[in-house]
Amino acid sequence: MALLELHDIWKRFGVTQALSGAAFDLRAGEIHALVGANGAGKSTLSRIISGHIRPDSGEILLNGARLRHAGARDAIRAGITMVTQETSLAPDLSVLENIMLPRIAMPGRLDWRALRAQARALIGEIGQSDVLRPDMKVSELSIGQRQLVEILKALALDSRIIIFDEPTAALSPHEAEQLFGLMRSLATRGHGLIFVSHRLEEIFAVTDRVTVLREGRIVASGLATETMQQGELVRLMVGRELQDIYDRGGRSRRRTDGAVVLRVSHLSCPPMVRDVSFEVRAGEVLGLAGLVGAGRSETIETIFGLRQPVSGTIELDGKPFRARSPRDAIRAGIGLVPEDRRGQAIVPDFSVRENLLLAHLGARSAMTLGYGTRGAAVRALLERLDLPERRLLDANMLNFSGGMQQKVILARGLVLAPRLLLLDEPTRGVDIGTRSSIYAMLRRIADEGVACVVVSSDFEEVIGVSDRIAVLSDGVSVAELPAELIDIEKLGMFAAPRSSAEKTHTMLGQLVARYGGTAYWMAAEGGRLFCFDRVGDDPSADPGFVTGGFPEIAATSIAHAVGAPRGALHRAPDGSRPTLLVPISGKRGHSLGIVGLTFGREPADFDAPAVTQQILAALGERRDAQNETRIEA
Amino acid sequence: MTPMNGPATSLTGQTGAAPRRTLLTLLATQIELRMSLVVVAVMAVLSLISPYFLTFNNMLNLLSQSVVVGLLALGQTLVILIGGIDLSVGSLVGVTGIVLGLSLHHVPMPVAFLFCLAAGAAAGLVNGLIITYGRVAAFVVTLGMMSVGRSLAYVLSGANSISGLPAGLGALSADSLFDIPVDFLVLIACYALCWWFLNHTKGGRTLYALGSNAEAARVAGLRIGTWSVLAYVISGLMSGVAAIFMASRILSIDPIGGQGLELDAIAAVVIGGASLFGGRGSIVGTLFGVFVMLFIRNGLNLLNVSPYWQGTAIGSVIIIAVLAERLLSGARRRG
Repeated sequence: MALLELHDIWKRFGVTQALSGAAFDLRAGEIHALVGANGAGKSTLSRIISGHIRPDSGEILLNGARLRHAGARDAIRAGITMVTQETSLAPDLSVLENIMLPRIAMPGRLDWRALRAQARALIGEIGQSDVLRPDMKVSELSIGQRQLVEILKALALDSRIIIFDEPTAALSPHEAEQLFGLMRSLATRGHGLIFVSHRLEEIFAVTDRVTVLREGRIVASGLATETMQQGELVRLMVGRELQDIYDRGGRSRRRTDGAVVLRVSHLSCPPMVRDVSFEVRAGEVLGLAGLVGAGRSETIETIFGLRQPVSGTIELDGKPFRARSPRDAIRAGIGLVPEDRRGQAIVPDFSVRENLLLAHLGARSAMTLGYGTRGAAVRALLERLDLPERRLLDANMLNFSGGMQQKVILARGLVLAPRLLLLDEPTRGVDIGTRSSIYAMLRRIADEGVACVVVSSDFEEVIGVSDRIAVLSDGVSVAELPAELIDIEKLGMFAAPRSSAEKTHTMLGQLVARYGGTAYWMAAEGGRLFCFDRVGDDPSADPGFVTGGFPEIAATSIAHAVGAPRGALHRAPDGSRPTLLVPISGKRGHSLGIVGLTFGREPADFDAPAVTQQILAALGERRDAQNETRIEA
Repeated sequence: MTPMNGPATSLTGQTGAAPRRTLLTLLATQIELRMSLVVVAVMAVLSLISPYFLTFNNMLNLLSQSVVVGLLALGQTLVILIGGIDLSVGSLVGVTGIVLGLSLHHVPMPVAFLFCLAAGAAAGLVNGLIITYGRVAAFVVTLGMMSVGRSLAYVLSGANSISGLPAGLGALSADSLFDIPVDFLVLIACYALCWWFLNHTKGGRTLYALGSNAEAARVAGLRIGTWSVLAYVISGLMSGVAAIFMASRILSIDPIGGQGLELDAIAAVVIGGASLFGGRGSIVGTLFGVFVMLFIRNGLNLLNVSPYWQGTAIGSVIIIAVLAERLLSGARRRG
């Protein structure tokens, strides 16, 4: 029998029908994916299950009995908890207090000793005793660790059903792996897990069944994940082929012949932006990729004058530029589509017309409004964005769907005909149809010679929409490369926060300290090599690339080792640069890159199989090193 | 009505978003229209129950009475539009009045006016700077200024009222043009200027945007800091203007002058449909609010209702007005 069943759920927000007769069922011991594009209604459905919002109509059955929860508290009591990306923890309290918070809120005396023992037991159960202690303060934990605390909180409540709402948005690949392992073990112990995500590779990695939502309707219900193909799932989510969304109408990706419009060098605006460099040319879309918290939004806010840089330079059209306020930036020809539409973009009491012309007002120096002077531009823009002028201009902004609002905000940035357009998560909370028209608009803007910078935490979107990609990690730009050279997995490795790549970095350092030469973490694919990290600067052991580099393999100094059997040192034909490569793979067998060592001269006491074992052991892999696979180049 | 084209928009459930220009939606969107209907209704009721209400003399009297509160309510409207509040205006009428009275004994009248206005604007500037850049709640800062202002009024005047004011001062409220008192004409001129400012200048729209969503206004490049300060400066300045007209009416200046007027001014703005959260309100609505309040007070006087009951009546009107406004705007926001 199903643990949880939902039948015919309807929910409407204002003019937006978020759910139309949605149904869902969850069995004990399974991980059930709830997928859909932005705005498909998956968050609404999961928030209905967790009691955060109530459906307009429909039925929820828990263990076959009708469930009526009046709020999240009732849902928790019924054994349903949600683990979100923005955690609901109290940062100033300890791990123990946070885990036991619902208990603390109940009447009666507390037995702290018992609570502590229980918390220890729970932490042990999820195998985190060595990193998570009950007395740690939550504010000192990483985002991944905080999520663990959320999960512990759910377990302390004895939740049978745990909803994971986009849990990996801020996690490095390593942390995500760890989370998936934990999810599996929870499912094995009989919990029912709902996994909300739009990352396909994660869905295939961890879930048992998939339910797909599109435009508030269920288009596929409870299909077994292993029977599905990636393309099929995309078609279900999108209703058409994914390539169509990012359709570039015959335009090639690489278009770097334009003049450099924006050049950012070593920009620093602590704590989020530490050392960011990149450039954008006219007519080019640059994707600024990275995990949540990598400093992407803060970087473009600094360019736009919303934050003041501490050091580094910004050049606009080759001249030094510094915006003291957004007004300076707008006047210099920069447009911004901010991340938080409700908070940073929409003036709710203004009509659509005034919202559209708000940046015009900001840039204007005369005392009067001068709305008339932009009449033609506004009309042309509305037509291009397929927005109905008559119905729109005098209406209230809040009467429209997220997609429509986003188009208006995009138009606001365009009214002033900018040379540089900064877009921060331009498709967040936007339905799939509008999403593709925003992409199309973006490409047209770029074709007209505007330099565009797009920030997105959706790797697929960044790769699909950009010509080139700059990757940020923990406030540092780690790579800048053409979009067609990179895929989601490699982007994930570049974007891994330094704090979590620390383990790898530390190990590279130890290897260099012990044996000399250079050590690096990289991936090799499609004839190219992508370097995520490198330690050691011995010129005689130079592998021919640096961190963030992506040379063709043939052009590096270790081409001889790539493709050779692993577990041994390989020398170049001239006998130089003995190199050991150790491929690292995740628990489900997918590649996590390659750790390599290159020497000027082979160290006397070097034992290649032992070092291979040491590397695999250090990175937590227990796979048999004798299991020979060749590194595919 | 333009039909929606393409799957992109028809998929998003854009039904019913088109504004139907029915009377109800007009009423729900136009504060001015709503308020003028309320004013007419109040006048109709009062003229029915009291034959004296709609007489020439009573009306003239009401026009004159509206001036001081009206001037303060104008400044208060700007402050409330940005989501702030100015509790100090009553006290500032007191202290700027004393500045005026003391100066009149030493300098020519126009210079004395200048001192009085400068004192008001300076107090407003202090309010605005501390609220905007010191990030202290407007309620707290202006509450403090309210206490400081009243105290300074006593200190400067030695707690004595000032009389022996020049006769020319009285002309400001005694003269009339085409039977309309000059001071009322000044009030209307101020409101007309303010209406133009709020609806047709960048500064005015900045105040609305600031009150509605300050962060969005900042991102759009509007000078929110400057205009936030200026709103308080204008409010302080209007206290000085009000002090001048108050002195011209009673030809005597008392350090206790203006006491309690801040509440009347705030009440007028709120009755006039402005939201205390900022972003919504209209200067015309405020003017109507001033008159609704005056009419009700006047009507109660004419009907010989005990003055002790007036507070209850006015208080109830304020609460009902805000409740009605909330319900109406709630209906509008739900679309």
